[in-house]
Formats: sequence, C-alpha cells, structure tokens
Amino acid sequence: MARRTAFALALVLLAVLVAVPPAPAQQPKRGGVLRIADREAPNLDPHLSVSFLTHSWANMVYSQLVRYPHGPEQQHPADFSIVPDLAEKWEYKSPTVIVFTLRKGVKFHNKPPVNGREVTAEDAKYSIERFRAKSAFRARFDVIQALDVVDHHTLRVTLKEPFAPFLNHLAASTYVAILPREVEEKFKDFNRPEAMIGTGPFMLKSYQKGVQIVFERNPDYYVKGLPYLDGVVKEITPDGTARLSLLRAGKVDLGHMWGYMVPEEAKSLKQTNPEMVMTPTMTVGSGILYFRTDQPPFNDVRVRRAISLAIDRKAWNDSLHYGEGCVDAGPVPCAMKDWKLEVSKIDPAKAKYLVGYDPQEAKRLLAEAGFPNGFTTPMFHWPGYAPPWRTYYDLAADNLAKIGVTVEFKPEEYGKYISTTYLGKFEKMAMGPQAPGNEVDDWLYSGFYPEQPHNRSHVADAELNKMLAAQRRELDPKKRLAIVHDIQRHLADKAYYVYLPTSPQYITHAPQVKGFKHHDGFSLGYRLMFTWLER
Amino acid sequence: MKQYVLRRLALAVPTLVLVSLIVFSIMRFMPGDVVIRMVEGHAYAPTIEALRKELGLDRPAVVQYLDWVGGIVLRGDFGNSYWTRQPIFDEFVRRFPVTLELAALTILVSVVIGILVGIVSAVRQDTASDYVGRVLAILALSVPYFGLAVLVVVLPSIYFKWTPVWTYVALTTDPLENLKIMIVPALVFGVTRAGPIMRIMRSALLEVMRQDYIRTAWSKGLPERVIVLRHALKNAMIPVVTLVGLQTPLYIGGSVIIETIFRLPGVGLFFFEALTRLDYPVVQSVNLIVATMVVGLNLAIDLTYAFLDPRIRYR
Repeated sequence: MARRTAFALALVLLAVLVAVPPAPAQQPKRGGVLRIADREAPNLDPHLSVSFLTHSWANMVYSQLVRYPHGPEQQHPADFSIVPDLAEKWEYKSPTVIVFTLRKGVKFHNKPPVNGREVTAEDAKYSIERFRAKSAFRARFDVIQALDVVDHHTLRVTLKEPFAPFLNHLAASTYVAILPREVEEKFKDFNRPEAMIGTGPFMLKSYQKGVQIVFERNPDYYVKGLPYLDGVVKEITPDGTARLSLLRAGKVDLGHMWGYMVPEEAKSLKQTNPEMVMTPTMTVGSGILYFRTDQPPFNDVRVRRAISLAIDRKAWNDSLHYGEGCVDAGPVPCAMKDWKLEVSKIDPAKAKYLVGYDPQEAKRLLAEAGFPNGFTTPMFHWPGYAPPWRTYYDLAADNLAKIGVTVEFKPEEYGKYISTTYLGKFEKMAMGPQAPGNEVDDWLYSGFYPEQPHNRSHVADAELNKMLAAQRRELDPKKRLAIVHDIQRHLADKAYYVYLPTSPQYITHAPQVKGFKHHDGFSLGYRLMFTWLER
Repeated sequence: MKQYVLRRLALAVPTLVLVSLIVFSIMRFMPGDVVIRMVEGHAYAPTIEALRKELGLDRPAVVQYLDWVGGIVLRGDFGNSYWTRQPIFDEFVRRFPVTLELAALTILVSVVIGILVGIVSAVRQDTASDYVGRVLAILALSVPYFGLAVLVVVLPSIYFKWTPVWTYVALTTDPLENLKIMIVPALVFGVTRAGPIMRIMRSALLEVMRQDYIRTAWSKGLPERVIVLRHALKNAMIPVVTLVGLQTPLYIGGSVIIETIFRLPGVGLFFFEALTRLDYPVVQSVNLIVATMVVGLNLAIDLTYAFLDPRIRYR
C-alpha cells in the first residue's frame, strides 16, 4: 500500500514537473522604438570622418565584409573574433592572398539612386579603395597590395606581407563600411542624410540637425527576423547632465550610446531610479604611468620596478572602484580575455613587478640604483579626464611619496597633452588612460615598437621587437596567441609602463530594454539589431 | 543724421578687422591641435600629416588668415567646418532663428519683469514692496544663469521624474509646442537678466520723478497712473534701453550655454560644439558674424535715442 502511495505520489510529482514549464528564456519581441540621448555626429560620411560618433551612426545603416560577434553570438564584451557579414566566407589562398565570397541576394536599402540593387564584389572593392584614398585612417590598410574582383561575388585581396591583424581591422566599425558607388556619383560624398544608403539593419528615416536622427527597421535586412526594433531615435543632447535627466525622466531608454556610467554616477542613479538595469563591465582600456625609458633615471629597470612596487593596487581598487575594478591591468587590458595572460600564469618572481605591492623592496631597489633618498620627478597629465582621474593622480603621487619619490604635478591643457605628452613628447614621467584599439596588436606593437606614436615610454628592446613583429606575421591563431603570451611573460618584469587598476563602466539602461549586450567598439547597429523592448 | 550713420559704418570696419585678427589669433594660440583632437586615440603619424594637409593647416598662419578673410570679403564665403565639411554661413542662417527667438523671449521676460518690478519699487520707495523687489533683483543678479539652468533640468528629474528638456520643434511647424519648449530656457535666462534692468529702472524713475515737470503734473492734479506711465516712464527709459542694448552680446553669449543644456539647435550650440572640437573656421566666422551684428545693433540703439528724447541730435 505504502509502495503504491509512493508510486502515485511520484507520478503526481512528475506530472506537476512536466506541467510547469521551466522558467522561460526571454523571447525577443518584435516592435517598438528605442530612444537614445547622445551627442551629434559631426559628419555622416564614414570614410571622410574620423569621429567615433560618425562611425556609430554609420554602423546603423551600413554593413562590412566581416564583423565582430554581438548580442547572443558574443562570448564577452571584448570578443573580437571574426564572423561573416557581407562576406559569408573567406579563405587564405596563401599567407598574403585572401579570397572573400560575398553573400548572394543582399540588397541595398530601397532608395534612389541605388534602388535596392544587389551588393557585389565591385562594391566591396570600391569601398576599400575609397577608404584607402580618402580616410585619414588609410594607413590602417597600407598593407594591401591589390584588390581584384574575381566574379560578381568574389573579391581577392593581396597583401604586401602576411598581416594577422588584417581581418580585425576589416571587422572594426571605425574603418571600411561598404558603400554604393552611385551615391558618390550623384551626391559627391556620403555626408548628407539622403546619401545614407547601405545594407545595414536600419535605414535612415529622417534627420533634423541638432535635434534628432530617426532610423527605421530595414525590412529587407539579410538576416531574417532581425532587427527586432521597429526603429531607433537618437535625441541629440550634447550636455551630459541633460542626458542623465532625460534618462531619469523616462524620456529615453539609453542615456549614452554605450549606456556608460562611472560607478559614482551609477550608484547615485540607482538611488533615485532603482528600476534601472546596470551591468558593471570591464571595457578595453587601462590607466598607466609612463616614462622616458631612454633617459635617466627611468632607463634603470630598478627604478621602474620600484615605482611599480610602490603602487598599492588593492587599496586603490577597494577605495576608488568599490573593489569592482581590475588590478591585473596590463600590458593586455583586463577586458581582452582572449589574449590576456593572467598574472597567475606568470612566474611570481617576475609578476610581482606587474601587480605586486612592496614599498620596502621598492626603497631597496631605489637605493641600489643610486637613490637612497629617492628623487623628484615631474608628472605630466591632463586633469580633465572623467572622475575619478584627479583622485588617481593624487593617489599615485601619494603612493610614490611613501618610497621617497616626490611628484611634481605638471597639469596640461587637453590639446597640448594629447598632441605632446600623449604621444611620448614629455620629460621623465607622465600619467593617463589609454585605449588604442580592438586589436591586441594596437596594445603591443603600437605601445612597444620603436618609433610608433603610442610607444610613449620610448621602449627599444631588440628581443621584444622580434616577438612584436612575429605576432603580426603569424596567421595561425594558436601560434599567434603563444607569441602574444610570450610577449606578456617577457614584459612582466620590465616595468616599461606601470599599470594602474581599471574601473568598470556601468552599462545602464531602462528596464524595458532587453538583449542589449555591451560590445567594445563603435558598432551601434550590430548591438541594437539584437535588442528588443518589453513594454 | 545720414552723415552720422555713414561715419559710424566706416568706423565699424577697423573694429571688425580687429575682431577678425583677435579671434584668428586666439584660436591659434589656444594650446591644442584640431587635427590631434580629430583623431584622438588613433594618432598614427601618417594620419595626422594627411589630415593637416587636407585642412590646409600646413600653410603659414598669415596665408591661412588672408585666405579666410579674403574668402569673406571677395566671395562672401565664410568657409567650411573642419568636422562637418559644410558651409558655415548656411549653417549659421539655418540656426539663427532659434537663437533669435530665444534672445527675443529672454529680452521680453527680463524687460517685463525688470520694468514692472522697477516701477513698483520706485513709486513705492522704501516700503515693503520696494525691499522685496530689491532683494529679488540682487538675488537674480547673483545666481548664475547656467547654475539655475542645470538645477531646473536636474532637480525635477530626480524628484518628479520630469524634465523640461524636449525635442525641439520649429516655430513655423507648431508655434504652441515651440513656445512650450522655449519658455523654460527663456524664463531661466530672462529672470537672471531682469535684475540689472530692475535696478536701473528704479533709479532712473526715482530721478525723473523728482524733476520739476513731474511736480507740475502733480500740481495739475493728474492721477498717479498718468504721471508715472505717460510723463515719467518715457524719460526714465533711456538708460534702460542702453542697458538692454549693452546686454545684447550677453544674450547671444549666454545662448551658448542655455542652448547646450536645453538642447536647442541654435547658433549657441553650433558655437559650443565648434569650440570643444577646436573647429577654427566655425569659431572664427561665427564670432565675426556676431560681432558685425553687435556693431549694427549698437548703432540701431544709438538711433532709438532720438525717438525717446527728441532733443538728441546726431552730428
């Protein structure tokens, strides 16, 4: 009897379990218009402008040959792997020859003079050539030797030498948007609303300068079912205070194109608007102390190591980042997980010069280098970076004072800072943030190879140079990763740059916004094509 | 009179040349580099050189100045923006009505408040209403308009989930909606500018009210309303008109901040964005156009004195 009851009970339980469905995964909904408050793009031509605002707007309407994964496709916000866009596949015929096969049947927006014609390899060739002729970023594609249209849907790209970052540059929304030639023939350039004709997920509906730009869903987008939104309105709001007020008042769903908010701002917003959704996210970027390593005293590795050991990174992170930041911040930034060699995988004897805190050891090193009583050094910087940068400068000076290094603040006006100090033209020591790009090459080659403008510490290290050049030429991702890891092992105890803890950004939006996943870079269209509204 | 106007116009030429020289030099002396500002983090050396050449910044400053001024004088061409690559003058003309409307509403608000409170304060001198009026005037003088603007935008959004920042609609499209958008910024700006007008109105009216012809009017048994409004007010208006005229550049200058905070697509916002982007030609040309307008306006104000006081003669 008891067994029968138990059996019956088990059956009932099973029935209940079957009848109650598991908590449903959120189903994307079609429809609705998303509102964003943001600044205005100065220009609409993605090749002529170097502004990230232009590139973000352009990404709404134009496609690329390849792109980064977004929304449900991405592993994390700095997932810079390559997925197809207009090119459905590509193949390396040799280390310098890549053949792209374009998707068939992809159509430009149905607007004159293009009128919804199909995209061909001619368009891809025209766009890359136009970029190389007109963009101020053209040096990015100097490596291209020839572009040949093999047939209607096949483009062959020949490079001067093997160049691993090539596909990554092609996938960045900063560079080659695919444009239709007829538009330039008719309008001379793409810097006008009626010229914004692409193959992207959204189409331009209207643009009132200084007021708003309205995008509508591209009904013929080549990915069936996407985008989910019927439209996107950008309310042009140059003032940050006004943007936040619009978000608070519920007049916009996003108060910024990425939804960025620094922790202090986010925590204050959460008090007045607890319904806001906030996701602390590490973005690609880092803060550094940088030196003239070609001049005394910073040409002595012991001095640089002492500086690094003087920084109390844990206290820094706890006091200024609520413990939410990242301490192991360089040379590859925390967010670039695919390339970063975690500090735990580096020999602790070397890794301590990357993340360690030991003021006694630092003083000993300084004495060994001939500075038993420390020394005085200027620190060039721009005080205007968003909070808490001012506090960072003070904290760094305070940490250094504890080992006998006296910091003389040398604040500079932005224009001067960005055109001198930021490019390595300073004396002795400087401090500031950096975010050179999405390619690990931007962090390594640009930051450490001689004569590169971002080699602010004037690094000249023959052994390193070989590795920096080798990772550029290595097309096998695994082998390239191994070299990039070797570079990080090599750099661990050199202290060419001293890396400071980095703060997360709070990606903030109204609760009705769903599926909005942060991705580093200017790909607003790709991010929004996976976003929907749940009103 | 005609000769006076012609002489004033001739005098305007060196003034404007001086203005053009000053704005051109200030932009050049300002530390910073528009090209570096444009490429920001992506400062690859070849990029910088290519862009500098494209914008003509590789030429000597004298050549750049002559090119700019020459364009204006010979072809009426104020140049193109470095960032938008579009003609500056067209953009100025497109945006000017917004700024003009804001300035007109602001002047209206400040003049109406300033004159009314000023009259009451003068007529009821040393009474409670006079003290209240004077305290208000000092308060309006000491609160900066940009501070008040930020409070008006931020506080209601925190406490009432409401903010007076709307999407701009042109006056010609929907006058009512337009007024709804413009009135808050005009009030914020106008109230802070009403202070000086009130104070000068009060003291001018007090002075006029003590003159013989006013005493005569009292002795004729005229009612106070007629004496103040018909006999005294017109004569007391001269310093007020002068002050409003002198304040006009402030209205234009203030529009830079007000338009930025309230997102009004006027000349002020155009100028603000150009300034933050170091867009030399836009800053230079907008400055020059506004300077020309101020010179013209000052002349116009000098000419209105004749209407207010027929004894004034122009030589």
